[in-house]
Amino acid sequence: MPIVPHVRTGAIDWTGENPGMLLKTDPDGDWSVLALFFRIVWSPVGPGNMLLLFENPLSATGLPETCNVIMSDNEALRDYIKTGFIEKLGTFGGAPAYNTASQLTIDNVVTHGDPTSDFYSETITGGGQEIKLVWENLGEPTALELPPELTGTGEHTMYSLLVDAKTAYVEVNGRRLEGETVPREQAGLALSSAFLYFSETWVFPD
Amino acid sequence: MQRTAVNPGAVEWSGENPGIYLKSDPDKDYSVVAVFFRIVLSPHGRGVGAIVLGAPASMAAYPDAPNMCLTDNRPMMEYLITNFVSKFPTFAGQKGLDAMSWHDVTDNKQDNRNMPHSYSEELVSDAVQLQMTWKGLKAPMAVEVGPEASATKAHDMYAVFAEATDASITINGTNLPGQVATRQFFGRTMSTAFLALSETWVTPL
Repeated sequence: MPIVPHVRTGAIDWTGENPGMLLKTDPDGDWSVLALFFRIVWSPVGPGNMLLLFENPLSATGLPETCNVIMSDNEALRDYIKTGFIEKLGTFGGAPAYNTASQLTIDNVVTHGDPTSDFYSETITGGGQEIKLVWENLGEPTALELPPELTGTGEHTMYSLLVDAKTAYVEVNGRRLEGETVPREQAGLALSSAFLYFSETWVFPD
Repeated sequence: MQRTAVNPGAVEWSGENPGIYLKSDPDKDYSVVAVFFRIVLSPHGRGVGAIVLGAPASMAAYPDAPNMCLTDNRPMMEYLITNFVSKFPTFAGQKGLDAMSWHDVTDNKQDNRNMPHSYSEELVSDAVQLQMTWKGLKAPMAVEVGPEASATKAHDMYAVFAEATDASITINGTNLPGQVATRQFFGRTMSTAFLALSETWVTPL
């Protein structure tokens, strides 16, 4: 069914990019690594970058014991996204690592690759950490428009451009974290647990 | 209204596409039409670019007339012009679009630190330093349209629009003349200066 002209009357929560990966060492076990990056171009508290990386989501620890970190270059944005978004995503907000993760400042973000090729990466540096997120074996881009019942928060309408990644990994200061992607489902699509999301907009209900 | 969660069409490009259209006389045609692109996904890769027609109806190029295209990815911009910009009502049939000069971008600076008060994009090439500035940004709104209402009349389009109450364009430090006007946009009266963020164009199946 083709889309028809529509102006959303609901306020925009935030818009930007939101790639991530959820990895497992045992396909039947818990998540071994969780990573979610935000490049936000508009929010009520301004634009900015943010990274959640939990090297061990089940461990209520932070640096230096574990690279469980929440990094940002806009503290107001970090707090806005944490309370209004992350804490509604059980996988991240409900992880024991969430409340103990070290909070660091992002100094720099560098993008490499192309989402229409087979390689894409974001390298985030700050607080003595260089964290490289790598997505490979990329799929065809797909435009999504998800109603609240299909979004992670269950509250918003969400527009996004999805590029699925069959493989992905994280390096922390050159050390590769353990874990592989696993299958997941979104809006009836059979996908991997690693993904690029571009031009993503979260809209409050009309 | 029934919605389609997964658009089965082919994604063309995605990124940012803010614009500034100015009038020297409110009752006449635009004296300046300009759009900026920051593309994160396209068949020709990523990149930035801008098209500025300071003499839209003139078959002339910079330095004789302020008609120019600046980019760090010429194949990407050629694709955008052929398939999109040349079909936008504001640019369709403008002689300046065919005649404009092309310049390779060596540097790009975006300043979004003062939103919503101001937002700017700067492109630098060997001959031209272009600055586009939007001021007084209003709360953004999410828009989705099908081919009947999209600017190309051929695509589905998703975007976030934030109108600006004022805007300016400078080329090598000199302002192009003209003022922001208003236009009808999806049933609303809106400024002709706007940010278009998180924009995705899809060719319907």
